[in-house]
Amino acid sequence: MGFANASVSFTRLRILDPVTNELLREVPERLRRHAFVDIDDLPEMQAQGWVCFEDFLDTEWAEASPQKGGYFVFSLRVDKRKIPAGVIRKQVALALQQEKEVLRAHNKTFISRERKKEIKEQVLLRLQQRFLPVPGEFNVIWLLEKNEVWFASTQNGMIDLFMEIFLQTFDLRLEQLTPYLLAMNLLDEAMLLHLDRLEATQFSSADA
Amino acid sequence: MSQMPTDSADAILGQEFLTWLWYQSDTAPGGFTDVDGQPFAVSMEQRIVVAGGEGEARETASVSGSLSPLREARFGLGTGKKVTRALIRIEKDDLAFQFTLRAEDFSIGSLRTPRLDKDDADDDPDALLLEKIYLVESCLALVDSLYARFLKLRLSTQWQKEVADMGSWMTRTT
Repeated sequence: MGFANASVSFTRLRILDPVTNELLREVPERLRRHAFVDIDDLPEMQAQGWVCFEDFLDTEWAEASPQKGGYFVFSLRVDKRKIPAGVIRKQVALALQQEKEVLRAHNKTFISRERKKEIKEQVLLRLQQRFLPVPGEFNVIWLLEKNEVWFASTQNGMIDLFMEIFLQTFDLRLEQLTPYLLAMNLLDEAMLLHLDRLEATQFSSADA
Repeated sequence: MSQMPTDSADAILGQEFLTWLWYQSDTAPGGFTDVDGQPFAVSMEQRIVVAGGEGEARETASVSGSLSPLREARFGLGTGKKVTRALIRIEKDDLAFQFTLRAEDFSIGSLRTPRLDKDDADDDPDALLLEKIYLVESCLALVDSLYARFLKLRLSTQWQKEVADMGSWMTRTT
């Protein structure tokens, strides 16, 4: 669920590197350079890239500009082919059966480990063309004044992928605003010293 | 992050913040002020997740609504259980926000802001989104003000007094 929905789940991140005005001017162009490329007709298992916030099919930002006042808004699109393990198992078994029949015609039975691997790869390639990738869309809101970014996912794997693509695109490192890092943002230097000596409080009456 | 040891700085701060916020919202629900001194209210008893134990002995319980399981969960805090997630409701003036806050990484789940006025979309296509962003920012500013208040207390010598008060609250039978 994204920011345009009634309910949204997201992660707060902070930009670690300095953001220059020159870089900000390049944001639309950099987004286009790392825009999502469709894999419906390609034998890839996964693809990711940026798309327009308003329309996840728009990779040219023809629908709307990514800049809205003091914010950049866009989305990360991640398409994944999900082929059920059972389908792969069955198709590999069928392919091996066919291979055995061919070998038997030549009075042979042995299929080498390399040949088995090759057959499995061929089956996967064939299946990849038959299963359409499942599209995923995750909104991004970049708050220029606060140097903060909101990413509409709370899954660790997706957050890592987002941070990696953000770095590739903008040469900017992100850091998740976890309790410790948010505390560093909110506290002055004197208080920060106390933070590093933090030990868990024992609320337990048995320990008192 | 789910594999994070329970004694990491993130886990300590996140869990103790939610525990303190539960105590504060239960004993003085309307006693919060934002950075400008404006009052707001916090409640978090609709759903609270507590966990205790380590490794295979780790147990998690989600409690909500009715008083008796909540009281049991509150007693649990006194025996070393920690608040790991909670549904928080914040009300300020005529605005209400509701979301789930996860202790270990402060990720925000299912945030609901006040409903947007669709008529605003007529003049500017970005108006609704900008209003939504403004509302989310307002909510996070209130969360940050709560967290800043907690940190100030947590890192001061007054924390032990607060812990003693929280200890009485945890074992309170009413």
